[in-house]
Amino acid sequence: MEKNEVLALVNEVFIDALDNEDIKLTEATTANDVEEWDSLSHIQLIVAVEKKFKIRFTSGEIHGFKNVGDMCDAIIAKLG
Amino acid sequence: MLFNSIEFLIFFPVVTLLYYLLPHKFRWFHLLAASCFFYMFFVPVYILILFFTIIIDYYAGIWIENSEGAVRKRYLMASIIANIGILCVFKYYNFFLDNMVFLFQSLNIPIASEHIPYLSILLPIGLSFHTFQAMSYTIEVYRGNQKAERHFGIYALYVMFYPQLVAGPIERPQNVLHQFHEEHTFKSSNLLAGLRLMLWGFFKKLVIADRIAVYVDAIYDHPDQFGWHNILLAIILFAVQIYCDFSGYSDIALGSAKTMGFDLMKNFDRPFISTNISDFWRRWHISLSSWFNDYLHTPICIAWRDYGQYAIIFGLLVTFFISGLWHGAAWTFIGYGVVHGVALTFEVLTKKTRKKVIKKFNKALYDRLSMLLTFTFLCLSWVIFRADSMSDIGTIYHQLFSFNTTAFQSLVMNSNMVEFGATSFAIAAVMILFMWVVESKVSYSLYELNDRPVADIILSSALLICILSLGVFNHNSFIYFQF
Repeated sequence: MEKNEVLALVNEVFIDALDNEDIKLTEATTANDVEEWDSLSHIQLIVAVEKKFKIRFTSGEIHGFKNVGDMCDAIIAKLG
Repeated sequence: MLFNSIEFLIFFPVVTLLYYLLPHKFRWFHLLAASCFFYMFFVPVYILILFFTIIIDYYAGIWIENSEGAVRKRYLMASIIANIGILCVFKYYNFFLDNMVFLFQSLNIPIASEHIPYLSILLPIGLSFHTFQAMSYTIEVYRGNQKAERHFGIYALYVMFYPQLVAGPIERPQNVLHQFHEEHTFKSSNLLAGLRLMLWGFFKKLVIADRIAVYVDAIYDHPDQFGWHNILLAIILFAVQIYCDFSGYSDIALGSAKTMGFDLMKNFDRPFISTNISDFWRRWHISLSSWFNDYLHTPICIAWRDYGQYAIIFGLLVTFFISGLWHGAAWTFIGYGVVHGVALTFEVLTKKTRKKVIKKFNKALYDRLSMLLTFTFLCLSWVIFRADSMSDIGTIYHQLFSFNTTAFQSLVMNSNMVEFGATSFAIAAVMILFMWVVESKVSYSLYELNDRPVADIILSSALLICILSLGVFNHNSFIYFQF
């Protein structure tokens, strides 16, 4: 799967999980850029992404995410 | 050494001046020696505790970086156990014994009090702050976000840098370690911005916090003797006092570091405009709340994420229980933490409902009401934090909510140092208003120079005059020194 496809799917997950139609993610987006994305919703987003792609991140991977691009890279690596 | 002492008035300019006079290669040693001197003003021998953890964490960092797999985790655990172990012995051991004694007595098991092995030691100052900062280092090295520091002196300075050594901000290695390696050339903008921020901190501490402390202390010392008006006023003033005391300390810390070109993390961001408790913890003691979030709450949630919302709630309750305990070895502090944990749980559970309600309301009105409600909750929760005992908490709430006026005493009180009468009230009110306007309403950064020299000169002169003429100079320690 291409990175922009993954990004588009992750965007859908964020819209659903955070209940905000206006979210437009880029690879550089961080939690500071999205109002509802706080430390509490972070875990819900991770779980929703894992369900969507049927993958499982390790704790180390989750702690290493600096922005949405890092998460997309990890998803692509998992999907092989 | 206290920031608000004569010694610091000499220490600070000497250390800053020498810092710039020395060549870069000697500066780390100068700052380390100065920081040791600063720390040893309290109980000199306690510096050995610092050395002990510094040596362990220095080697743990290198070993973690050089190893792989389960061995890495073992080194991390060794570092964490050493740090928490020191905290437990010096801070929580006697509290643990007290609770065991209480438990045995409740079960009618006789204990001879002379056989209880209490430790008769003073709590090492700043212990909870620097052990947390040290743990942040080994955890970040373990997570691969920070390279292990090879220079022992620089690592020691990371833990001991005098501005943040005894009451934070609890720094992260990614933010400060590289700054000790970089050469800071003298910049007048750093010196001026640093000095102005220090003045602002001294103003909040000496003019506001220590002034209203006289009133607050008098009420909290004998809550049963005062009517509900006095109690209500003391509860509100304590919110202002603890903010001015602690954020004032942080401002002095950030300012004194800034004069030498170091940028420490911002610890407060106008907490009283918070519209809910989650918002509050993103604005209050940010270095501690983000520490707990990154190293305790998030790992709990990640590990148990299959349980969905229950993991978040469990994580919140555990985190805030421990956060309460971090503040002090007493049930009052634990109670304070738990109350906040429960409030945050409520916010998690009602998040979607509240979002729907907001849509039906006028946003500005909703935000104002939320701020008022949040502030009310904070004031009531700080009663648990400030009260001397669990029974005092009951007395204060009882006096407050029964609108008891029979115990009414005059608002005018005397302490050894200051009479808290109408004049003191008026001064405190004007100064609080002034602080509020500068911090919240003016587009003027207190952390950087704004290219507005006239405003800087007027503000700095006003602060200096206020401190010298209205400051309360009785060397009150900072509230967070006890932790």
